[in-house]
Amino acid sequence: MIIFRYITVVFVIAILPLILLEPIAAAKTVTDQLGRRVTVPNEPQRVVSLAPSITEIAFALDQGHRLQGVTTYSDFPPEALKLPKVGSYVHLDLEKIVALKPDLCIAIKDGNPRVIAQRLESLKIPVYVVHPNNLETIMKTVLEIGTLLNAKDQASHLVKNMDLRIQRVKSLVAKATHRPRVFFQIGVSPIVSVGTHTFIHELIVIAGGTNLASGSISYPRFSREKVLAFSPEIIIITSMARKTIFEKVKAEWEKWPNMPAVRNQRIYVEDSNFFDRPTPRLVDGLELLLRLIHPELVEKIQ
Amino acid sequence: MNTKTPHIIKRVVTASSFLILLLGFAIVLGISMGSTDSGIKDIFQNLLGTKEPDSMLYTIIWQIRFPRVLLAALVGAALSLGGLVFQALLRNPLAEPYILGISGGSAIGAIIGILAGLSRFPGVTLTAFTGSIATLLLILAMSSGQTILKKDALLLSGVMVNAFCAAVIMFLVSITQDSRLHNIIFWLMGDLSLGDMKHVGILAATLLPCFFLVFWLSNPMNLLLMGKEMAQTLGVNIKAVTFTLLVATSFMVSATVSYCGLVGFVGLVMPHMLRLVFGPDHRVLVPACIFGGGTYMIFCDLVARTFSKQGEMPVGVITAMIGAPLFIYLLKRSSR
Amino acid sequence: MNKAAITAKNLSHSFGENIVLKNVSFHVPRGDFFIIIGPNGSGKTTLMKIISGILKPQNGQLKILNRSIDQYHRKALARTIAFVPQMNFVDFPFTVTEIVLMGRSPYLGMLGLEEDNDLEIAHQAIAFTDLENLAHRKLDQLSGGEQQRVFIARAICQEPDIILLDEPTASLDLAYQVRIMDLMEQLKTEKGISVVMVSHDVNLAAMYADHLLLLHNGQVLCQGLPDEVITYQTLETAYGCTLLVDESPLGKSPRVTLVPRKYSIRE
Repeated sequence: MIIFRYITVVFVIAILPLILLEPIAAAKTVTDQLGRRVTVPNEPQRVVSLAPSITEIAFALDQGHRLQGVTTYSDFPPEALKLPKVGSYVHLDLEKIVALKPDLCIAIKDGNPRVIAQRLESLKIPVYVVHPNNLETIMKTVLEIGTLLNAKDQASHLVKNMDLRIQRVKSLVAKATHRPRVFFQIGVSPIVSVGTHTFIHELIVIAGGTNLASGSISYPRFSREKVLAFSPEIIIITSMARKTIFEKVKAEWEKWPNMPAVRNQRIYVEDSNFFDRPTPRLVDGLELLLRLIHPELVEKIQ
Repeated sequence: MNTKTPHIIKRVVTASSFLILLLGFAIVLGISMGSTDSGIKDIFQNLLGTKEPDSMLYTIIWQIRFPRVLLAALVGAALSLGGLVFQALLRNPLAEPYILGISGGSAIGAIIGILAGLSRFPGVTLTAFTGSIATLLLILAMSSGQTILKKDALLLSGVMVNAFCAAVIMFLVSITQDSRLHNIIFWLMGDLSLGDMKHVGILAATLLPCFFLVFWLSNPMNLLLMGKEMAQTLGVNIKAVTFTLLVATSFMVSATVSYCGLVGFVGLVMPHMLRLVFGPDHRVLVPACIFGGGTYMIFCDLVARTFSKQGEMPVGVITAMIGAPLFIYLLKRSSR
Repeated sequence: MNKAAITAKNLSHSFGENIVLKNVSFHVPRGDFFIIIGPNGSGKTTLMKIISGILKPQNGQLKILNRSIDQYHRKALARTIAFVPQMNFVDFPFTVTEIVLMGRSPYLGMLGLEEDNDLEIAHQAIAFTDLENLAHRKLDQLSGGEQQRVFIARAICQEPDIILLDEPTASLDLAYQVRIMDLMEQLKTEKGISVVMVSHDVNLAAMYADHLLLLHNGQVLCQGLPDEVITYQTLETAYGCTLLVDESPLGKSPRVTLVPRKYSIRE
């Protein structure tokens, strides 16, 4: 009857655009953090992460299943260890990447050789480059990776959570009366600290401390004398080595009992993974620093 | 019997044909193996086109491995030839292609380029090349007080400049803390992984004229080994020949190093090995170094790529690990 | 019409402040056996270098076959004059044949592609110098005297008009000394090559030379026939020691005898 024909026509007209548009909309063009226009698939199934921090973020967004390959030092979360390795992020193995038939590669500006990105693109593999260099851009990176991996909701949720925690720290620190002098030691021999253009500096400042090594050199070296002259109130040592090394380093500083940090027993060793990767774990690092620098503020809310 | 064919041509052709065959084999081997496992059968089927083209394998073989193998061949040829020429020019069997400050100068140029954040191509390549040529000019200026023909002057200046550059390099390395340090280290150890066909083309265009020029001067090189003055009495224009060889070879080695970093031991070992097999006549040795050196380098790069499950090793490590014992063995052979 | 092989006029050369040669003039007839003698430091080596074209004299004229040496193109000169060095330190394992063949370079192009003709000439030179058994040996496997013959064979391959030798008998065994000198004599008589030699052995020079040149402090002290040049006055002036000059028992040349202090009859 006529009404059936009418329904059929409406149905077809409604369905038709979906049928026609679907294959065309399988990819989209986006702009990455270096201003490059990249055509990425809507549903990337074979993603290769070219840096450990990117691997972490992908898993944090619950999108680990999309990853086909990661770099050698992608060790967090533990599930990442099972994935095939494509070389270290400064020395990538082109052949291994191509063998995984990726439909998207996510790269990081500091570290990945530009040449590799160019070669991958010449082989028709899209490369999206991120450039997280402070908390704000890290959160932006999480959002962008969320968009790339179809996890917009998880991303905004994660970012909101990060932001909340950062604001909480900031509001607590606003009540602090004193900014302790912090010496953050990332290198044992020679003694290396962090300058202004590092994540750690930003964290120290937000956590209410003064970074004694602030300055234009990102990783300045100090003689023991120089550090003594700073008279640090807190020394934080991060290393990827075992506890035994920490005891040795601590003993080195304890030779100088006049230093406030030694007098007040405020020499701490922490896991460097919370401080040197541009990932959500940096916020964990921030909270950790708050506990170390302003224990009095933390006890208040407890 | 054809009385017109010079006997030396037969020797050159025989030696070259044998080595070209070896080179061809090395190329096939080089593109068949890599850091990803693919059955040899698959590869041959792909090469011969008998199977459905697997685009991933095709890409790996022709767009990743093939340029790399060609680059290795060019690098091996240039470095071996460089060693051969300097051994003849300086009449010193211990001479190697970097001896005139090329390693020091190019390394400093490359490090400056890397620290400045330049991309590997063309930025770092150009800074490395500039550094190398600048050092060469410095050495020529330093030893021009004594005549360029006094081989010891040139040699000593080169050694001193390299030593000084090594100190500068150590300083630069010590003040670098971030990921650029990795890039520097890989450059210093030799890295063939970054070139594509375009770069192979540029390097080939730069090197091939140098190869021909050196071959053209291979007989004067024989005569130079008799002593500079002796060569002159045999009709050689020693000033022109020495200068041309020096410039062409330095240029050739500098261009090579700019692309792939400092790959050592090839230029020292290959000429000796080939001399042991083919004799000291440079008319045979020049093509032998070109084809034999290329084969050796492809082989070393293959080992660097596939040996360790952990990942690629720098090719300079392999050439040293193979080259050093090989050189000691050759030394023992020749002292008997 | 005896064309001169070499004519030198007022050759002078200094190295910095050091005057090594001063107004040296001499004349070497074609087909001559011409030997230059004198003590160390008298300028013999420098003179050799100038004659062979390696060194350009600061002053004076040098004519080879009646043409100024400056007018000779490098390869043309190599076809006219062949040089035999005193000792050669070749670190690379060339065979005797390969080294002898190098003498053909002045006749060949850039790549030195030797043809059958060149190989024939090399074989003849090897035969002439009695090196046939050693033709395929490496140079460093030969004795000093044998090596010297290789360089002479190479010089012969250059098909020169003049052969220059720099103290060829120095550090050679007695047997080889005579052998080399006889070889030179043979080159002179059989091939008409002019032989010009620097020698430290006065007696040997006296027995073979057609003409002698005695150098002292960079200047020509005396030149001419052996009997004219070798007298005790000239030699004592040149060499600064007591000598006895008489006639060799062979009767054909003067003989020089050194006088040890214990036999000295002079006050």
